Amino acid sequence: MERRRRTGFPGSWLQELVTALRHGTCSVRLTLLCWASPALARRQWPRALVTLLAQLLSVSGILLCLPSVMKLGTLGTVQAQRIYDPISRRNVWNDYDHSFLILVFGIIGLLLAAWYAVSTLQRVIHAHRTSCQTLHTLRQEAAALLGPRFHRTLLTLPVLGSLLISVVPLLIMAAIAFTNYDRNHLVPTNLFTWVGLDNFRSLISLTTGGGFAHAFRTVLVWTLTWAVLATASCYIGGILLAMLIAHRDIRCKRLFRTCFTVAMAVPQFVSLLAVRSFFADVGIVNTFLKSIGVTDWLHSIGAIPTSGYVPFLTHPSWARPMLLLINLWVGVPYQMLIATGVLMNIPRELTEAARIDGAGSWQVFRHITMPYVLFITGPSLVSALVANVNNFSVIWLLSRDVYTTADQLLATAGATEIDLLVTWLYRLTQDQSNYRMAAVIGMLVFVVCSLLTLTAFRRLTRNDMEESFQ
Amino acid sequence: MSRTSPAGRLSVFLRHGLLILLAILWLIPILWLVLASFGTDSGPNIRSFIPQSFTLDHYRELLFGSDSVSQFPQWFLNTLITSIFTCIISTSFVLMTAYAMSCLRFPGRRLLMDAAVIINLFPGFLGMIAVYFILRELGLTNSLTGLVIVYSAGSGTGYLIAKGFFDTLSRSLREAAWLEGANEAVVFLRIMLPLAKPIVVYTVINSFLVPWMDFLLASIMLNSGVADDKTVALGLFSMVDKTNRNRYFAQFCAGGVLVSLPISILFIIMQRFYVEGISAGAVKG
Repeated sequence: MERRRRTGFPGSWLQELVTALRHGTCSVRLTLLCWASPALARRQWPRALVTLLAQLLSVSGILLCLPSVMKLGTLGTVQAQRIYDPISRRNVWNDYDHSFLILVFGIIGLLLAAWYAVSTLQRVIHAHRTSCQTLHTLRQEAAALLGPRFHRTLLTLPVLGSLLISVVPLLIMAAIAFTNYDRNHLVPTNLFTWVGLDNFRSLISLTTGGGFAHAFRTVLVWTLTWAVLATASCYIGGILLAMLIAHRDIRCKRLFRTCFTVAMAVPQFVSLLAVRSFFADVGIVNTFLKSIGVTDWLHSIGAIPTSGYVPFLTHPSWARPMLLLINLWVGVPYQMLIATGVLMNIPRELTEAARIDGAGSWQVFRHITMPYVLFITGPSLVSALVANVNNFSVIWLLSRDVYTTADQLLATAGATEIDLLVTWLYRLTQDQSNYRMAAVIGMLVFVVCSLLTLTAFRRLTRNDMEESFQ
Repeated sequence: MSRTSPAGRLSVFLRHGLLILLAILWLIPILWLVLASFGTDSGPNIRSFIPQSFTLDHYRELLFGSDSVSQFPQWFLNTLITSIFTCIISTSFVLMTAYAMSCLRFPGRRLLMDAAVIINLFPGFLGMIAVYFILRELGLTNSLTGLVIVYSAGSGTGYLIAKGFFDTLSRSLREAAWLEGANEAVVFLRIMLPLAKPIVVYTVINSFLVPWMDFLLASIMLNSGVADDKTVALGLFSMVDKTNRNRYFAQFCAGGVLVSLPISILFIIMQRFYVEGISAGAVKG
């Protein structure tokens, strides 16, 4: 049934709509204006009342957003200023335009209007279909919500929540990428407006971007390197660790697993901030290395540019590998847990048979364990890659207040050598109030992530095995 | 190479040695954190790994000596309230969505599933700037209500793992229940939910931990800078920033220990559920 609806949606739906409007009764046509007209025609008063209320609510919502929708073209024209009010004898704010709120309520208004239109047309079709029957009473409708229409009961709130907290804000941010909303155009005292593709241009062109093009290249390259290396190292490390623990000769398996789980269970902001002090320029590791003479030796062979301490988290050539190592510390236990679950499910016959045929442990690993684990955790590998592109907390907690860049061009763009796209985005909004560029970068993050996911997208959602287990 | 031969015994010995070494590597920073919380230095201890002398002063200050920076009991309460409400709302959203996507068939199902995947591709806080402005208009920033909304309202999109679990449950059970005359709601609440206990526990833990682990969204939503508005994560972070580090580092360690203890215990007790939940979801992707 689902398939029929999907394939026939635009064509047959329109056809049905036209039939309904052309051949429908008066009450069917009137549904265009008043949702309750079929119920009124049948004198089903309670149902009519509820429908009327619903329509009233929707319309008043749209009317509330209407002023903002009208101003969407300019995002407001009246600048905020204090004017003297002769009645209260004080300076008061004028009736100014708030560009951001115009954008917010403009978009919400447009979405509401679109939903209202579709809903109305849907009701016309429904009215035509049921024109020869009595409508369900409210009681019957309520019962249907627990039976055949249970999906509505379940999904209404989650979908509504996601719409308001995710979809609408994302649309707003996407729109901001095409405006000049930055610290010279901060609401509410200033207005911002549409600037077309200017922001994208300054991200690409080296001549006009004010360091943005340079910063963008540095950050993008590091983000991709980081994502690939961090994902691969944690994945392989996790599987190796899980295999090491799962080996038949190892005793106290639970104890060892617990040791590693503890490192993962401690909240990241605690463990990472501790690690940060651990490896600080004036920190315990540096004290130790200095006392055994490693620091001086590293300095003499030219491995560190500073004398007296190792710049673990303060120099790009040291900070980048250190970040990967520390991420290994955080990420391996998690992968170990997942791999443990998968390894337990490897059919024993497979490995035993291979051993009887004379395969060594490396061959078993290479030809049985690894393909099996890869087959099962392949999709999760892709989501791990996406998660690492967006791995905010590791980079942010380890670099905030610690790492400053020596590269002036990067600094003007608000970036550092170890920033990922997402941390750069955060810096731009929180430190520089540069929302226009932040929005552009956010859209680019999305492009990067969707390109990465595209390959595994079908496996993630359209799992063919879905039905076969039931 | 048998287990009793010298070479075999050596290999067993080496494996244990390697594991013990790794375990020590993994535990050292945490051990250091615990030791520092009992040390007498109030700033970061850089002289020796083990403090010269031990004291409980930092815990006492943290719990009873609140000042303009340190408000740990209040932070703990804030986070607890937030996480309880987040847990209730998120868990029901995730389970409701997962069940609907897995077991019910309705028009638009594929569309919604694809949309959720696409939404999850955006970095979560990109939209938060817009959410912040909307909530500010409603007067909900710098309040726990706003924080609960931010954490839980969009949680339905993270249904994938739970759906994978529901997919593995047998359809014949539901059919038997229909024959007995149960409607969909009864099937969901009385039959499927009890069967899905591992994934329910997994979802509950996961969503309960969100406010304890998150630092990013809280820092956007609670930006007044007032100490007693903060969550634990924000508060502890403020203890190690540039200005406060030397005075409050040991208190940060003590706070870290106090927060990590219940969370770690929760983790370790539930490890079994966790592995079951994750691997069941991972198997199905």
